[in-house]
Amino acid sequence: MRKALLVLLVSGSALFSGGTTAQRREMPPAHRRNFVACPIVRDTKTLPCWLAEYEGELYFLGLQGSSASEFYPPQLNHEVLVEGTVTNDPRICGGIPLKPLRISVLPELNRACNTLLPAEDGLEAPAAVARRFSEDLRKPGTDISQREFIIPFDFDSDYLTFHTTRIVGEAARIAKAVNVAKIEVRGYRATTWLSNGKQFIETETIAAQRANKVGEILVGLGLPATAVTVISKNEPEPCDGVTDTDKRRVTVRLFTP
Amino acid sequence: MRLALLAGLLGVLLFSRARQDVIGQQTEPLRWIEAGAGGTLPAEMYFHNADGKLGVLLTGGPLEMKGHAFFEPQGINPRGCVTCHQPSNAMSVSVEAIRERWRVTNGEDPIFAAVDGSNNPKLPQALASSHSLLLNRGLFRVGLPWPPADKTVKPEFIIEVVRDPTGVNLDDTYGLKGANPTISVFRRPRLSANLKYVLSPDDVFNIKTGTLMAIDPETGKPASMNMMADARHLTLRQQANGAYRDHQEGRQGSLRREALEQIVAFEQQVYLAQSHDRWGGSLVEANGPLGLGPRALADGKIHVLANNNRDPVFRLFDAWKTPATMAKELTDAQREFRAPVARGNDVFMFRQFWIRDAAHINSIGLGNPIKRTCATCHNTQMTGQDLAPGWVDVGTVNYPTWTELPVFSDKAELPVFKLTCDKGAAPHPYLGRVIYTNDPGRALITGKCTDIGSIVMGQFRGLAARAPYFSNGSAKNLRELVDFYDRRFDMKLTEQEKVDLVNFLSVL
Repeated sequence: MRKALLVLLVSGSALFSGGTTAQRREMPPAHRRNFVACPIVRDTKTLPCWLAEYEGELYFLGLQGSSASEFYPPQLNHEVLVEGTVTNDPRICGGIPLKPLRISVLPELNRACNTLLPAEDGLEAPAAVARRFSEDLRKPGTDISQREFIIPFDFDSDYLTFHTTRIVGEAARIAKAVNVAKIEVRGYRATTWLSNGKQFIETETIAAQRANKVGEILVGLGLPATAVTVISKNEPEPCDGVTDTDKRRVTVRLFTP
Repeated sequence: MRLALLAGLLGVLLFSRARQDVIGQQTEPLRWIEAGAGGTLPAEMYFHNADGKLGVLLTGGPLEMKGHAFFEPQGINPRGCVTCHQPSNAMSVSVEAIRERWRVTNGEDPIFAAVDGSNNPKLPQALASSHSLLLNRGLFRVGLPWPPADKTVKPEFIIEVVRDPTGVNLDDTYGLKGANPTISVFRRPRLSANLKYVLSPDDVFNIKTGTLMAIDPETGKPASMNMMADARHLTLRQQANGAYRDHQEGRQGSLRREALEQIVAFEQQVYLAQSHDRWGGSLVEANGPLGLGPRALADGKIHVLANNNRDPVFRLFDAWKTPATMAKELTDAQREFRAPVARGNDVFMFRQFWIRDAAHINSIGLGNPIKRTCATCHNTQMTGQDLAPGWVDVGTVNYPTWTELPVFSDKAELPVFKLTCDKGAAPHPYLGRVIYTNDPGRALITGKCTDIGSIVMGQFRGLAARAPYFSNGSAKNLRELVDFYDRRFDMKLTEQEKVDLVNFLSVL
């Protein structure tokens, strides 16, 4: 696993930094687990579990679901960035649960990430959360008074998931309903403070990619291009090891006449 | 010895005769419809094939073909739409029928037109070898501009021709270095039937890309993007005009308005499915499976996500699970056939395996691998396409899972391209940035590295009437199709499961 991490830090398109002297002395809070590793999939009698190992300990990431699930599982052949908080909850599939948890599939191939474990007695998956049908998720549900929308992204990704497309859709719906005068779309890139003290910085162009994509969607949904301003902040957001996941984002602000 | 020889010869003759009767080549006047021949197309048609009969239904009633744009040449060659979309071949065209046309016409049938019915328009057209991809695999040449005609597309990769047995991609007129740089790929014609399902749009957002769906310019609403192998045309009108220019060599830019509307109206009323078993019995039975036969297609609901056990993709086959619940008038042979069909449906719907390294399935949030079933991807009720835009790199055209012989073998038939992606582009999720392929698929339209080798999945209907399968015609029969998936995903299907799946697919 550690070898895989090193490979990523050398070859990945994202930038690895040792950080400042002060940052090297400090570390993210002890209860945080921010690391890059090869994911592990464990078969069970029901749904496969996803796990990752860090410093000799196994962590539970989540269960296989569907594209409408909140949790999008990792991918073999790719490393995964895990950012989570250790809980005292019972182990699941042999791993310590992390809550809250965000994972990001890193884009570059790593064929060393190839571990599929067979089902094993005593390592059962929990019952899956009842599936919400996509039709329900497609219904508008945002308060019309809302004027700011935050669209989160995975590390180094501009891919909008089933859920995040809904946020953009709601922003467009309300913008039309309130006859918006101006829409400001602002993209950000972020840094993750890994548990080993190192910093993992997103690629330079990702803030602009995210903002442009969201801006294009808003125009595609019928908002006038002249009303949409797209800005990207290319300086990476500072990291604290706790809220780093929230900083990989695009904000959409609506200004009414 | 002579007696044995005579008996053998008699057996061959009897078999040939029986085969001819089953195929119905001599007895079905509509088995091959020549463009411009005229005549009436009945509202219900049945055509023999090796697994029984195909049923074709025109919901608009009988149709006069004389003067109808679908059945008359529109361009400068003598082809009509019908040339490659034959009712007897499930509105596609089978290799068996193509070979028969070669035999009957000595290679003069318009289907062999040099423009795309041969491996390379510059080859000597009288030779069968110049049409080997059509004769052996049912493949037509599709020449696409590279870079894409849409100038807003910025290609993320460069294309090199590693080798091309057809010579067309290296040709100074038709190739990548010609005056109009073109990349030629070879694909099967898709069904022009059951189109209300195929054209049914999904959501405003395209789950494959996380962006908006393409918009149908005629309705202003999202398009399904499930019609073409590479989703390059969104509407029937676009497709008809494209076929007029590319396949019929039309020189007027687009079809006449009346002709266009006639073609589109016709295509929207054609429904087809296998209708009878090989003993002549109807697959549509009182209290039998609800999803069989062309009427079920005509009457079915569109856009139903059916990867569930309540109302599965091809509906329930419970009535065929045991002899006790089957129709009483069935013979023993028919009963023995129906039970494996029902089991095959269960394999299709519920037999789990690890779906792995399939771009646009595993890479869109489902995880890699996922332990699911055939119906996870083939999830649309009645057709087995994807409800979302269905382009997937299932592995048929990209090295190393492709169906081609090794790159440096002398016997491979298809071109091999090397695609090298920009360092800044998102790589193909499972093949990286250098990819060898026979057909870049959707990537020839989007220019995206992630789309290399992704092909829009086709319908599962009328399969028995239109072998071979896959976009590159690499599965000669349903068993080869099943074997590909078994190998590709290490499904570990038993022999019984394979047979059951083949039987199941043959009744669709």
